[in-house]
Amino acid sequence: MGKAGRISQIHRWMGSLFRVDRLSWWLVVLAVLALLGQEIVRSSVLVVAVSAEFEGFGDELEEIEDELDQPFVVPPPVLKEPSGFQNDHGPPSDELVEDQVQDQELARGGNSVAHEPAVVKKVAEYWDEDEFEGFPEDTSEHHASVFPNEGSAAGSKQTAPAPAGPAAKKAPVPKGPQTYYIEVVGTLFLIAYVTFYFIGRKRNEKLALAWATHFACKDGIFDKNFSLLGTGDGVDSPLLMKEGQNVFKFYASGRRYCESLLATMDFRSRHDMITLLWYLVSPRKDEMTIDVHMNEDAMDSVIFAVARRKNAKTLLKERADLQQFASIVNVTNRKWLSEELTAISESREVAFDLMTDALLEQVFGEKAFAKFSSHFIAMHFTDQSPYGAHRKILQFKFTIPAEDRMAEMTRLITTVIYFIDAVGRYKLSPQARSKADATREKVARQAFKESEKERQEAVLRRKEERRKALEEADAARFSPEVLRKREEKERARQLKKSMPKIKMTRAH
Amino acid sequence: MSDKADPRQPAAAKPYVHPVMNPVDLPPDYPSLLAVMCGVIGVMLRNKIGSWFALIFCLQSFINMKNVETDLKQVVMAFTFAVMGMITNYLGPGSKAAATQTGG
Repeated sequence: MGKAGRISQIHRWMGSLFRVDRLSWWLVVLAVLALLGQEIVRSSVLVVAVSAEFEGFGDELEEIEDELDQPFVVPPPVLKEPSGFQNDHGPPSDELVEDQVQDQELARGGNSVAHEPAVVKKVAEYWDEDEFEGFPEDTSEHHASVFPNEGSAAGSKQTAPAPAGPAAKKAPVPKGPQTYYIEVVGTLFLIAYVTFYFIGRKRNEKLALAWATHFACKDGIFDKNFSLLGTGDGVDSPLLMKEGQNVFKFYASGRRYCESLLATMDFRSRHDMITLLWYLVSPRKDEMTIDVHMNEDAMDSVIFAVARRKNAKTLLKERADLQQFASIVNVTNRKWLSEELTAISESREVAFDLMTDALLEQVFGEKAFAKFSSHFIAMHFTDQSPYGAHRKILQFKFTIPAEDRMAEMTRLITTVIYFIDAVGRYKLSPQARSKADATREKVARQAFKESEKERQEAVLRRKEERRKALEEADAARFSPEVLRKREEKERARQLKKSMPKIKMTRAH
Repeated sequence: MSDKADPRQPAAAKPYVHPVMNPVDLPPDYPSLLAVMCGVIGVMLRNKIGSWFALIFCLQSFINMKNVETDLKQVVMAFTFAVMGMITNYLGPGSKAAATQTGG
């Protein structure tokens, strides 16, 4: 099958492996398990943190309540306050503390506000940094809310535990400036992607329309040769069929010698930015493939191909029919194709008959090729096509020029039409035909043998299945005793069959 | 080079028939594969970059879809993973953004 065949095999294998059914199931299971695991781990960590927190709270509450037995004016021993401003900034959740604070505020009036920041800082030193990192702000918040609402002791008590809780929880998160590089880059990329989509799509459409206007419109070359143009029915049906943002098809039918002609335009994926970046690594050109399906009676046994010298060997290996029937044609003693091209043919006679002098002069010869046929990639005539149901195919591959240089393809398109007639009319000589028929018969027999092996295996498999089905039916119906007897009988029969037949002679 | 007679044969014209493609024979859709893998990475490993890549590859696979071989299942699955990843990474309970939001 060759390297290309193996690659396509690998592609197919990969495709089957990654089909939705199998992979998706496993991925979904994995994702669900991972999420569950994460949730469990996270919630267990939280539980530990929260319980630790509340223990701390309980301890402080007890401490403060003990202290409050003494007259409240005495401040905590460590705290050195310059002014006589006495505030026991215990944990904000304590109700008693708040009441005392409120009394003090009422007594001092405006002084408290000015001294607030100094006191708050001292309080921060007193309390353990690790546990109450967010404390100073919370107390300032708390006091700010208390000063205006002197009567709402209950309300502030409820808000107090809330800021202290997330304050402790928030401690591990670093508070730095948030950078959004990933998001910015991602959004910019998406915007650029969408822009490229619209621009690229339009460009491809313009190219396709330019080709169609040049060749497929009224009084164009296709109109003069085919009666049915386009894929739809009706007079006003569109000529081109858009299969993807970079694939366009043109269909024509209704001509002698051939059933139909299908021109497929495969442009570069200008609409996909990622593929465009990939083209920087491995570039490609806009390609056009023209497939002509010949009538069964119109084409003789011809296997012939012309390709650029560099691609000839790859083409030979890629196409199964070329590999089985044809070989490279080396011509030295007469006027032949340009240096750039190589011919591959089943027989030299066919090659010489098809490559007429006129053709060589105008299209494929030395001078003509460089001047007129720079867009030629390959062409391949076969009556044993390995692809699809239709066996007799002429295939041409060209590159597509820019929309203002479409005329460069004219001669190549004319060559396509010429070959439809040439191959349709061509008849092999008797010797060539007999040789060709013999080769084809051989190949067909080989193929048949291989398919027969497969068929036998399929028959065996079906027999096995039927037997199993019968067994199961029997098991349902009869008692185990009867079944056992049957199995023993079967085993004995198998044994007898496998034992070699010993020939006995009477000797006495 | 060719006959003078009109080569057209309207009687022989055959209308176009779409070739039927077996979904198994199609080349695998690499962008959607990558989208699914990146989406899974983004969701499971809480990776923001993975989620963004998943979204981008999803978009690419959707754009490159040809009319004949529309197989939406894989793309839709990849898109679900990408969106899930985005939500988990930006609005989920363990993310930084959510913490700063609630802590305020």
